Parts: sequence; structure tokens; C-alpha cells
Amino acid sequence: MTIELHEVLKKFGEQLVINLVSLSVQERELFVLLGSSGSGKSTILRVIAGLVRPDSGSVVLRGNDVTFVPPQKRGVGVVFQNYALFQHMTVAQNIEFGLKIRKMSAKQRKQRSDELLELVGLSGLAHRYPMQLSGGQSQRVALARAIAYEPSVLLLDEPFGALDVKIRGKLRRSLKALQKEVGITTVLVTHDQEEAFELADRIAVVERGRIVEVGTPHQLYHAPRTEFVANFVGGGNVLFGRCHEGKVRLGATYLPFPEDAPPHDEGAPVRVLFRPEWVAYGKEFDQAGGNGFLLGNGTLRDRLFGGAVERLRFELDSLRGSQSVGLSLEYGQRGTLVDGLASSLAADIPEIGEERVLSLNRCHILQPTSLRILAKVELGRDNHALLATAAHLGGVSHGLLSLLVTASTKEDLARNQELLESSKTEVLSVRRDIRLTVRPRVGPVVAETVLESQEGYFDVVLLSRPETSEQDEAALPEVARHVLVSARVPVIVVSNCGSALKRVLICTAGGEPGKSDVRLAARIARHTGAVARVFHVRRRDTTSFEMARVDRHLSRAQAVLTSFGVENDVLVVEGEPIVELKQQIEQGAWDLVVIGASLHSILGDPLKPSFDAQVLHATAAPVLIVPTPD
Amino acid sequence: MRQTQDKYEAVQESKWVRIVLILFSVAFLGIFLVLPLGIVFEHAFSEGLRAYWRAITDPLTLSAVQLTLIASLSAVACNALFGIALAWLVTHFRFRGRQLLMTMMDIPLAVSPVVAGMVFVLLLGRYGWLGPWLEAWNVQVIFATPGIILCTVFVTVPFVARELIPMMEERGPQEEEAAFVLGASGWQTLRLVTLPAIKWALLYGLVLCNARAMGEFGAVSVVSGHIRGLTNTLPLHIEILYNEYEFAAAFAVSSLLALLALATLGIKRIIELRQQRTTEREDLGSV
Repeated sequence: MTIELHEVLKKFGEQLVINLVSLSVQERELFVLLGSSGSGKSTILRVIAGLVRPDSGSVVLRGNDVTFVPPQKRGVGVVFQNYALFQHMTVAQNIEFGLKIRKMSAKQRKQRSDELLELVGLSGLAHRYPMQLSGGQSQRVALARAIAYEPSVLLLDEPFGALDVKIRGKLRRSLKALQKEVGITTVLVTHDQEEAFELADRIAVVERGRIVEVGTPHQLYHAPRTEFVANFVGGGNVLFGRCHEGKVRLGATYLPFPEDAPPHDEGAPVRVLFRPEWVAYGKEFDQAGGNGFLLGNGTLRDRLFGGAVERLRFELDSLRGSQSVGLSLEYGQRGTLVDGLASSLAADIPEIGEERVLSLNRCHILQPTSLRILAKVELGRDNHALLATAAHLGGVSHGLLSLLVTASTKEDLARNQELLESSKTEVLSVRRDIRLTVRPRVGPVVAETVLESQEGYFDVVLLSRPETSEQDEAALPEVARHVLVSARVPVIVVSNCGSALKRVLICTAGGEPGKSDVRLAARIARHTGAVARVFHVRRRDTTSFEMARVDRHLSRAQAVLTSFGVENDVLVVEGEPIVELKQQIEQGAWDLVVIGASLHSILGDPLKPSFDAQVLHATAAPVLIVPTPD
Repeated sequence: MRQTQDKYEAVQESKWVRIVLILFSVAFLGIFLVLPLGIVFEHAFSEGLRAYWRAITDPLTLSAVQLTLIASLSAVACNALFGIALAWLVTHFRFRGRQLLMTMMDIPLAVSPVVAGMVFVLLLGRYGWLGPWLEAWNVQVIFATPGIILCTVFVTVPFVARELIPMMEERGPQEEEAAFVLGASGWQTLRLVTLPAIKWALLYGLVLCNARAMGEFGAVSVVSGHIRGLTNTLPLHIEILYNEYEFAAAFAVSSLLALLALATLGIKRIIELRQQRTTEREDLGSV
């Protein structure tokens, strides 16, 4: 390992520029940091060079910890964004500078600079001044200067940024060839994904100070793990569907899960990526080709001539209800937009308005890692605990947090603009780096919350517990009930105290642990770094056959938790479920209580208090209720 | 240059406006600059070459010349150091009070030199704050050479820093960073990278500083005490001669000061030409 960063953190004032970045670059590798401007990629490079000292974490070069070593002693070569050539020195003097500092004799220096000028193809320009050079020539001088004293590592900060498009392509190729020839470990920073693809052995995608994903260009293009990379690298269609009986439901269409797809829970949101060139089209399904992944009928809405290819944009009705991440519809359109691609020589390109059957050659399922959280902000009450919990959960999972505010009229909503703003500020005061959106809705509270939970493909909805006075002891709060039953999205009911969710109690008091409640609890616990306990209450009259079954389920639940890296244990007690559970909650100081709830138990017997409602009353901690199949 | 001007045809004035503006500028410069300078030399030689020579080689004049040179060279030396340090500080670091410091740097330009002189007298004079302490150490500042140097340094403080700051701000710290990465220590970087790069701006600042130092009258007048042959600088000497109705001598010495000023202007022009050549090289490079 030539370059290693361990959990590097850097703040400029209040702003977090590098957020716990770890990476390792192999010997002789050309490693690219790819990110938009302001993502912190250049700062990472400057940390490696020693020009920026991290607040915490360490930098290791060739096995030596150089975190506190000044740049002079690190032996790295740097090509700066604007090349930073010494203007008052000639090209040769520039290249020889590092050698002169190292006290090499004039004769040897001259020999080395001639050699390097030859290598970068600038022989004969030794006596020019930097101001007499073109951009491309300056870049090559900077490169020669950086590698003159044979550093172990070469760092390049946007080396092609200031050049014409034509020269760029040429210089890219020569840089790659030179890097392989010299065999120097290289880190290059760029915002241009085409450049990254052409040059890199491996790419790290950087966003807001974090490394989102690392992989070969091929991996990142064909099989990214995250939505950010799917959208940032290359053009692509990312659609939201839901996992349904082992298939992906996209509106009215079902796609089979590809073999390499990460496991998803029943009902969980699934993000499907297909690149434009994976979309096939034809007049009939069997003509469309593709590997049998039928998408549906699409109408061509737009076509753009792009030289070698034509970019096609279809609108599909059959996907209605599945949300497209990148493309949004214009007013008046109802379907979902899908981008396709055709060779501009192809004979069968449809005209705008024509209909075709679309299918997919392949599709890729993104990792279900980051949580999508909806928090329902209540008017006229203290949302502090709700917002703190939501911000914490969204922050640690690098997820997306949406704040929902509903009001009965537009005027009401406008009046509550202030509430929205203060809620946003409050969330950002807890976590500055959170992805936050705001959803103001006009309409009845229950209907709008259910609709939003369903349409937004959220993993979990955070609700405030109703005030004590209006609380119905026998049933779950109305909104929670409807979200669980109609939208079938898990709910966290938050009380007056916020929490870091460090101790998770998974209750299976009612029956055996379900799959989805344990999985979601495990995901949350992994992000918050919590310990978890699977708690089971056995009735006295349980048969040994049932006992064996329960044991099997419990050990599976433990296996799931362990596979998520969550420290866990199992506790089985005998007695009346709700009584034992109450006792356990009182003893254990649990931060989050997880229960699975079937449709039957939620709607329940109107005369008998529901088990879920009783659990909710037994604790002041947040309660996560996960809908399970009956 | 011609070409660049032609490119912006729309904002060019008509021929007549141009001629009127040129005539106006020439007339203005003639009346307010060339004419007075001519009169200085005319009066200087009004009593013949011998009288001129006598006035210039008068021991009192020579001692004034000596003191003026001492004061201005000290000012140039002090401000070279101080100017570089100050410019480095404000361009390389962001700290609280940075703006205040940059504003304070301009105080000598805003405050009347006489006031500055008075402040020094109040501070360092026999009855000033630090006067008794200085006396105890047997150091005389006011009405002596140190006071004159102090005043001259004070009024010329902004010149070097003001030339360097925009220049260094425009360059940014990139070249220094590059030098660090290439292995150069802080001192090597200053010597091999920073100083050569700001050379011309620094020299230009020093020339301006020198011109101002030699001509300084107000502040020096307050702290000098006008002791002939001891604490008289050239401008003060001229005033005394003038007040004693020795017009020819006064103008003769004035012409000396004027010549020094012209020489300074000449050096300034040469530096400007050098700077221009560097930028022209830049233009050539970008084509």
C-alpha cells in the first residue's frame, strides 16, 4: 500500500470539508478522486501532500506515518491546478528546482532536465519562460518538475481543467502512458467523469467530504452501489420500486431480481438502475430484444442528435407510481420518463409521438443502505425530540430526511412557513451534512401522510406521540395506524425525549420474530452503533415443538443482526407477554423498542386493547412498529 | 497596444474630443508642473554659476544633504523589511483585525505630517510620556537625527506595503506551496521564489518611498528643531534660506532637490519599463 488515509477529518472553521475519509492506493496505481466542485476532493489531495493538516486521522506513505511531517519531507510530486510554475525562472530552472534544493550538481541537473523534457515532449523549450508557454506546455512542464526528483507519489489536481477540449484528450493519453512508463503511484483529482473513466485504474467518488464509493470505472458504471454514483457517473435511469414477492414492482410492471442483486426485504423500496444503452425498443415485445425484462409501452417524447448516438426520451404509462429519481415530468404529463439511446445510423428510430415496446437488456439494483426517512412535523407543538431523532438517524445513516408539514388550507400552510424554516434550522444544527428536503402538503392530515409515505418510497416514518390528554390507550395513534395499514411503511413513534438509539430492544413477545422487523432494526442499529437484544416471552403452556420453532427463529434473528455487525444477545423469559415486556423495558433503559405488527393486530378487536398500543404505553422511548405479513 | 485600442472602437471618443482633452492635459501639466520647475532652475542660476556652486557647496547645505540621505536611506531600509513582513502577513493569513491593520497602515497618508511630528514630540520629547525614561538612558530623540529618521519612516510606511499587497494577493500562495512540496524550506522559498517574483513591485515601492522621504517637510520640521548643520534636512534648509531672503541660494538648493526627484522619476520609469516587458512576455505566451 503506497498511500493510506485513516479516518481523516478536516474542518475549515465550522465547515466540515473532509468527513472521516479512509482510502488506500496500491503501488503503481492511477487512482482518481472524482467529485463535483466543493466536494472536498482537492483538500484530500492537499492532505496527502501535507499542505493541509488534518484535525484528526492519519496519513501513511509507504508504511511511514507522515501525518505530522511537513510537505518538504514527504517526497511527493504535485501538479497544481494552475500549475504554479515559477514565473521568473525558465522551464529548465523550474524543472531543476527540486534537484537544486537537494544539492545535485549543475551538470547532473542539466542532464536530468533534458531527459525529462524529452520525456514530456518539450525538448528545445528549456530556455523559455512560463509566460511564453501554452496551457498544454505549462502542464507538461509542471509534470516534469513534479517527477524530477523521483518522488514516490505523484499528485495531480485537475491537471486538464484549464485546457481546450482537443488538447485534453491528447494529454490524457500521454499522461496515462507516462504514468505507466515511469510506474509512479498517482492520485488525480477531477470533476470530469469522462476523464476519470479514461485514466483511472480505480475511482473514488467524493461527495460532501465523504468517499461515497470506490471501484474500477467498469464497476462504478455497470454496478454502482449508491444512487449518488448511479446518477453522477454516466447518464442513467434510476427508478424507485418496491420489493414484492421476490420481484421488483415498478408501477404495473414486475422485474425479476438479477442474481447479483443485494437482498431486499418484502415491501422495502428498491432502486433500479438502467443505463440508456441497456434499454431496447421495438414494435412488438419479441422485436424489442432485451433479456425478457419487459418494461412496457412507451411514447417517444424527445430526441436529441448527439453525433454518434441519438438520445431518446420515452414516457411510460405502465410505470406510473414508480418514481424516477433523475428525470421529472413536465406539467400535464403523467407517466414516468425513461432515457434510451440509439446509434444515429439505426433505421428504426421512432418519430416523436410514436409508441414502442421497451425492454431491458439488463438492470442493476442499488444497495438498500441509506435510510429514507419521513418526519411528520406537527403544528402547534414541540417537535424537538422528533427532529433530533430524525436528524440523528438521517445523519448517521447518510440517508435522506424529508420533513412533512400538512395544513388544511393553503393560507394555513403559508402561515406555518416559519415552522418549516425553524425545523430545518433545528435539523441542520444537529447534523450539518444531512440531505434534507421539505414536503409541504395541503389536505387532511391522515390522508396526506399516508400518501406521502407511500409515494416517497420511505423506509420509515417518524411521528410524534400524541399529547397524553388525547391519547387513546386501547389503540395506536390514528396516523400511525393508517400509515402502517394503508401505506405499509414502518413507523417510529417518538415521545418527548430525543435519543441516540444506542440500545435496541427487539420484542417478539407476541409471536416469533419476523424478518422485516429484525432487518430494519439491524439496519438502524448498525448505523447508530447500537447493541441489540432479541427478547421473547414464552407462555407457560408452550409445547416443546413450538419451543424448538421459536428457538430456530431467534437464532436466525441473531444471525441477521450479526451479519449487520450489530452486537446482540437473546433473552427468553416465561410469563404473560405484556407484563414481562413492561418489566424488561423498565429494567433495561432501552432507547428504541422494536415490535412487528400484523394487520390483524393493528386493527385488532375493538373491545380489547391492541398489543402494540400497550407496548407504546409501557415506554417513554421511541417505538418502531414494523408491519409484518399476516 | 494599438490593436487592443482599435478593438474597443465603440467606447473611443471622436477626434475633436480627443484633441481638446489632450490640449487641456498638456496645458495643465505645463502650468502646474513644467513652468514651476523651469522657474526653480531659472532663479537658481539668476546670480550666475559661481553663486550656484557656492550655495550648493556651502557646508550647511552639504550637511543637510547628508542628513536627508541618511533619513531617506533609513526609511527605505526600514520600510523594505516592514513592508515585506506586513504584506506577507496580510496576504498569507486570515486573522481577526486584518482589515483594521490594513486601514491603520494608511494612517500616515491620511494624517497631516505636522500632526505626526507633534505626536512624536508629545511622546518622546523631554516632557513627553517616554521623555524622562529616554533621558535617564541619555538618549536624545527629539531635536536630533533619530527623531528625524523616525518621522521619515512614519510618513513613508504605506508605500512599500501598498505596492506589494495587491501584487502578492494576485499571485496567491501557489508558487510558495509548489516550492514547499519540492522540498524548499521557508527561507529558501523566500529567497528563491517570493523575492524574485515581487522584485519589481518592491523596487517600485522603495523608489516611491525614497521620493517621499527626501521631500518630507512637515513632520521633520516639528521634530528637527532647525539646528543648522545638525538637524536640518534639505527642505528645512531651503525654507531657512528663503526666509532669510537668500533667494538665489534657496532656489539653488531647491534645484538640487528637484534633480534628486527627477532622478527618482527616471528610475521609476525604468522599473515600469521592466515590469511592462515582463507582462508583454505574458501576452506573447497566451497567443
